[in-house]
Amino acid sequence: MRKLTVARIWAALACALSLLVAAPAAVAQDRPRVVAVNYPLQYFAQRLLGDAAEVEFPVPEGVDPSFWRPSIGDISRVQSADLILLNGAGFAAWIDRVSLPRSRVVNTTRGLDAQFIVTESITHSHGDGGEHSHEGLASYTWLDPALALTQAETVALAIVGRGLAPEGEVIAALETLRAEMTALDQTAGRLLGAGAGAPIIATHPRYQYLARRYRLEVSSLAWEAGAAPTPTELEDLANLATGTGARVLLWEAEPPAAAFAATEALGLRNVVFDPMASGPSTGSFITGFDAAVAALAEALDASPGN
Amino acid sequence: MIRALPLSAALVAVPLGAAAHQLVVFASTDCQAVTVEAKFSNGRAAQAGDVRVLDGENNLLTTLALADDGTVNLSLADIDHSGGLLIEVDTGGHDNYWILTPEDIAQKCGS
Repeated sequence: MRKLTVARIWAALACALSLLVAAPAAVAQDRPRVVAVNYPLQYFAQRLLGDAAEVEFPVPEGVDPSFWRPSIGDISRVQSADLILLNGAGFAAWIDRVSLPRSRVVNTTRGLDAQFIVTESITHSHGDGGEHSHEGLASYTWLDPALALTQAETVALAIVGRGLAPEGEVIAALETLRAEMTALDQTAGRLLGAGAGAPIIATHPRYQYLARRYRLEVSSLAWEAGAAPTPTELEDLANLATGTGARVLLWEAEPPAAAFAATEALGLRNVVFDPMASGPSTGSFITGFDAAVAALAEALDASPGN
Repeated sequence: MIRALPLSAALVAVPLGAAAHQLVVFASTDCQAVTVEAKFSNGRAAQAGDVRVLDGENNLLTTLALADDGTVNLSLADIDHSGGLLIEVDTGGHDNYWILTPEDIAQKCGS
């Protein structure tokens, strides 16, 4: 009899324990689910939603979210989200290759078309199509904090409109975010103001909106992020540096040390400015942007001729 | 501001979000068949190309040829579509894809 009682107690304890373990998962599953196509939108949504919803950025680490190729399973999960946040401006090619539920999709740059930057054309030919060109839009809109804030406001409207979080809490969170973004913009304007008009070279064309916001003269190459440049690429860089007079080179990710040494030998000061499409390595959108701007401002200040 | 590059455009790579001449692939189903359409973003139909149909595990199910009008039809009864379908079109110079999830297919089948 006693043996049976102990067994029952153990069974009851195990049952209670399993309920305790399962409870957070059940709560998490009950929360609305939001999907964002890049880290900045994920960050804004998290700031605005707090714990009211789960905010996902589905692109695996190390994959460029502009060119992510999702699996069928990835898209099934996106389709079932309560809110899908798109960046617009041509960001994330995969969104044009799937069906998304229109009522749950929000383009966060809706109405901002007049502020989009049209990028250079690439002319080429192949097959029987003759020579033709590809023209696109610069898509890293969030590197202009004013545009980023407008995107955050659109996210807030979408959250409130769908009842994903209490309106008062979303408005309060938006006000805090607005204050931080405004401060970030003012700091960037002050730090980069001295370098306005100074020629800069970027290893990849990511900084169009940043350049326009702070009146920077950025010429772009098309190097692979985080990779060492080839001898031909270094020659192109040298020619571009001579042609523009640039003394500062922007990288979106840190390359091998030898790459830094090679570009320093050309008289260039290296700056890693993570555009944060996938998120900063540490910190948040705000701290990542602040740190990158400070590093760029320091390099501009220290570069003779700039 | 962004400087207009004096160097060749080959130096510049852009995210082609709004390319003027891309292959656009679209696939839809009526629960009986999948219709694949491939055209260029200038509106011209892709008149030739391979259409690869893969399942949810990326296994190749079949390969078809585009018709002159840039379309091809595939009977759902002929393939295992339970895990969704990945439709890839390759014209030789351009390629693109469309994803049909199990939910996309089920929705058209009224379930």
